[in-house]
Amino acid sequence: MESSGGEAAAEWKVAVAIDGSDESLHALGWGLRNVLSSTAPNKLVLVYARPPPPFMPTTDTSESGGDRRRFHDFETDFVPHLELPDSGYLFTDEDVATMEQYSQDLEKSVLAKAQAILQPHEHVKVDTKVATGDAREVICDTVERIGADMLVMGSHGYGFVKRALLGSVSDYCVHHAKCPVLIVKRP
Amino acid sequence: MEQAGAKGSEQAQEKALKVMVAVDESEGSLYALSWGLDNLFSKASSMAEWGEAVVVHVQQPFQNYVFPAGPGTAVYATSAVMESVKKAQQKNAEALLAKIAHLCSEKHVSVRLKSMVLEGDPKEMICQAAEQVHPDLLLIGSRGLGKIKRAFLGSVSDYCAHHAKCPVLIVKPPHK
Repeated sequence: MESSGGEAAAEWKVAVAIDGSDESLHALGWGLRNVLSSTAPNKLVLVYARPPPPFMPTTDTSESGGDRRRFHDFETDFVPHLELPDSGYLFTDEDVATMEQYSQDLEKSVLAKAQAILQPHEHVKVDTKVATGDAREVICDTVERIGADMLVMGSHGYGFVKRALLGSVSDYCVHHAKCPVLIVKRP
Repeated sequence: MEQAGAKGSEQAQEKALKVMVAVDESEGSLYALSWGLDNLFSKASSMAEWGEAVVVHVQQPFQNYVFPAGPGTAVYATSAVMESVKKAQQKNAEALLAKIAHLCSEKHVSVRLKSMVLEGDPKEMICQAAEQVHPDLLLIGSRGLGKIKRAFLGSVSDYCAHHAKCPVLIVKPPHK
């Protein structure tokens, strides 16, 4: 294994979709324990979809300006599928700022929870991709863009409905993701 | 192995997985098996660390239907026909398992291979088998049917993704 030095093994890229729910964090932990490669260098990519805002910003009239404002911290080459809602709310700047702050705080807490799980696995390279939009499209687009070898996700997010055996986002991703999809069920 | 342990311990220690693989004669399921063998198992040195792959093949029981043989007539399947169909099914199953064993040996994977041939409705039998065997994950291929075809033809991979109690890994064949 180590005798053949200098062999550039292709990276094993695993995308893990998280939404802050316990299920997705359980899936992350399970993936870390079971599907990482022991021969190739591992790269784990956390994919988090921020829920699209239900409102239209009042002050900023230019579309592109508004988008860029939301993504100044993250990659901007990915244009999210931000469809303007048919009916939204017009809020004052203060309300908009509060909502955005809440959304950012939520994102920070979700990523922090994921970090806590990643903590014992220091040898794994971790990347984070955050985008705003519908979770289904964000996950499938991100997986295609980064060329993931596998997508790991939970079976339900927060929308846990007793009769639904598989959540809608997971179901969508199984059918539309371009790579193998691993659904980790709640034990 | 122990000298390289210093560097080896930095790498992710892959658990020796017990994987259940659902196969039928389709290309998709063989591709899924092949992918699983390539990517889910590490090159363990001692057999104690080998993973396990339980291959499940479900055959649908031959129904004693009435065959229309022309206008106004019908043919019942005689017991001779039933027997020959059963034999043919058995042969198919054996051929499939032989193909799989050959595939595994070609890849030199450190995997213990077991196989189960069951009879019944594929989707239910696979889920039942998964409950009995308790694999770490269920690996299943997908035919890549569209929404409408899925509704009519039914999808085993869909059913298993919904109903299996263990993690399910669905592998679609690459788009060509």
